[in-house]
Amino acid sequence: MTYETPVATPPPTAAPAAGTTSRTGGVLSSPRGTVVTVLVAVLALAWLFPLVWALVNSFRDYDYTQANGYLSLGGWTLDNYEEAWARGNFGLHFKNSLLITVPAVLLTLWLSSMVAFVLARFSFRFNLTLLGVFLAANLLPPQALLIPVFRLFREIPLPLFMSDSGSMLNSFWSLILVNTAFQLGFCTFVLSNYMKTLPHELYESAELDGASVWRQYWQLTMPLVRPALAALATLQVTWVYNEFFWATVLLQQGSKYPVTSALNNLRGQFFTDTNLVAAGSILVALPVLVVFFALQKQFVSGLTLGSTKG
Amino acid sequence: MPRPRSAAVPRSAVATVAATRRSVIRGMALSGLAVGGANLLAACGGDDGPATGSGATVKFGINEAEGVGAAHDRLAAMAAAYTEETGTKVDLNAVDHNTFQESINTYLQGTPDDVFTWFAGFRMAQFAEAGLITDLSDIWPIEGLDDSFKQASTAADGKQYFVPVQYYPWAVFYRKSVFEKNGWTAPESNDDFMALMEDMQGKGITPFAFGDKDGWPAMGTFDILNMRLNGFDFHMSLMAGDEQWDGDEVKQVFETWRTLLPYHQEDPLGRTWQEAATAMGKGECGMYLLGTFVVDALGENGEDLDFFTFPELDPAIGSDALDAPIDGFCVAAAGQNQEAGKEMAKWLGSAAAADAANNGADAPFIAANSGASTATYSDLQKKSAEVVSAAANIAQFMDRDTNADFANTVMIPSIQEFLKNPDDIDGVTASIQEQAESIFA
Repeated sequence: MTYETPVATPPPTAAPAAGTTSRTGGVLSSPRGTVVTVLVAVLALAWLFPLVWALVNSFRDYDYTQANGYLSLGGWTLDNYEEAWARGNFGLHFKNSLLITVPAVLLTLWLSSMVAFVLARFSFRFNLTLLGVFLAANLLPPQALLIPVFRLFREIPLPLFMSDSGSMLNSFWSLILVNTAFQLGFCTFVLSNYMKTLPHELYESAELDGASVWRQYWQLTMPLVRPALAALATLQVTWVYNEFFWATVLLQQGSKYPVTSALNNLRGQFFTDTNLVAAGSILVALPVLVVFFALQKQFVSGLTLGSTKG
Repeated sequence: MPRPRSAAVPRSAVATVAATRRSVIRGMALSGLAVGGANLLAACGGDDGPATGSGATVKFGINEAEGVGAAHDRLAAMAAAYTEETGTKVDLNAVDHNTFQESINTYLQGTPDDVFTWFAGFRMAQFAEAGLITDLSDIWPIEGLDDSFKQASTAADGKQYFVPVQYYPWAVFYRKSVFEKNGWTAPESNDDFMALMEDMQGKGITPFAFGDKDGWPAMGTFDILNMRLNGFDFHMSLMAGDEQWDGDEVKQVFETWRTLLPYHQEDPLGRTWQEAATAMGKGECGMYLLGTFVVDALGENGEDLDFFTFPELDPAIGSDALDAPIDGFCVAAAGQNQEAGKEMAKWLGSAAAADAANNGADAPFIAANSGASTATYSDLQKKSAEVVSAAANIAQFMDRDTNADFANTVMIPSIQEFLKNPDDIDGVTASIQEQAESIFA
């Protein structure tokens, strides 16, 4: 038994002490660690720089930066935000984004949890194939489906009270549907993997107690996969909210655009006030940041969800 | 209400009007939409109320978002004035300029508005050929719009599909104060021009501001040099794909451009037109060849700005042609109310419409209609109107005069390649020709 070991070992929760305190201090305490720290800091700065640059310039006056260059300091103002909000008509477009994102996310989670439940709990012949198909559809780039989806939606009539164009085109329904379809594969995959980790005995006892399949799904499985649902909801909200491509293709009415597409409103035909666009971009990015920071824990666990199979 | 069913879109219509700076993939995907499908245009729509006149509704799609300022306000003022005059309700659909332009193919084949803002020239003609826009020859002639405007509204089949409303010329802009201080005057001849540039360089001022980061501004330089060296007719037939891009004429344009490059700002590919305009505004550069929108970047009303048209380079050709893109309106073939659309389009071309627009916004446009009041015009605009009406021939700018795919995917990179490496003219022209053959075939 040696004497030094317990003394030199820091408590497990404390950060490794700097310098040469011990062998157990980890790689970051050695000289090589210093290099790594510096390198990582530089990389982090390089990644953050464009964002910070945009943030800083969103608070500056365009005329000032145009006259003095972007390397100068000064011309501080809050006008860009005020103008971006008014010019971009962000109030309306945030509402549009909300009307698209919330139903799309709820629908995706509901449908995919049902598919995942069946795939995880019942074994039949095409179980794996079905999961494979869901996953494979995930790999298709949306651009490849642009023409078929556009034509399809044009041919689907909707009553006028649902869509003033009389077809799926130019309505929120089309966007909700298309986003749901594209996110379904990923959610199903993650949820079915998560559901497979639930102990099988639970279902056996439920079965014995006479719970129907629906009850096993709704009252037994759903409460248990809540963490997975929360993580997915966080991810899905950011993904659907950030979606830009389908909105510009399927919508033709400027006042229906979600906020990501409406960001273009801040650009003129020729002239673009870059500081104003920076302010607008920050405003558009804010909801995602809020969602991320508020639900950070779910977000991170969401990234590793389903990566291990029980 | 019965609607005419348009014929299937011919293969030749596989063209997008993708803007510059756009992903090629998306552009290609959209252009695929142009193949077929026009005959399947949506045929459902409510028919409440009369088709035209008081109580009717016409949908009006405009390519300026609410809030961008005068450009939107003018169109909105026109719509309001139309409602006031005829009692027809106008349903305004405002989409920002670039999005509108990129989505035009899905727009026209989806659920378009009855009347929409668009451009004269090849970009209009290709939709006419595809059957996506309505023949407007029965509303022409429109009082106050002369033959050159009628010509610009005519597609390949000899019918009109367009109603012009405004235009803006490209010319050489300069600061009056800078010219005055140095005793310079607008050059009358090529010799004057060369002497002026030499003098500017001698005084440490770069003669021409120049920026081509976005790809399209340098097209203006190519256009004007080609029109000055080879004439308007050659320019237009080159744009239509009927001339050789690797022939002596085009090579001569690039040769001349190369000799002029030392008088331009260096490294244009790293500079946007806004930055170049600022350099001219600050007096670091003497002149800038650009459209009248140059004022927008200077943040002033343009009182200290003046311009001259690019001087003649070949006495046999003269200097009576210039770029002056025309904006106006088309009626969508898939629009739900054709009659009301046509009626409104005709009115939009009138002097009353132009006056309503100019009185309803902070900054006026230069009206196409000769009967429109010029009371609100700035000095620059008055001069623009004079110069354009004096010009014998008007081109629409390269990306409007030729196939949009060719302009954006071939000419932008080719001109940028030339600016990077001005000595390889043979290589650049050969590559353009090769690509032109496949696009115009």
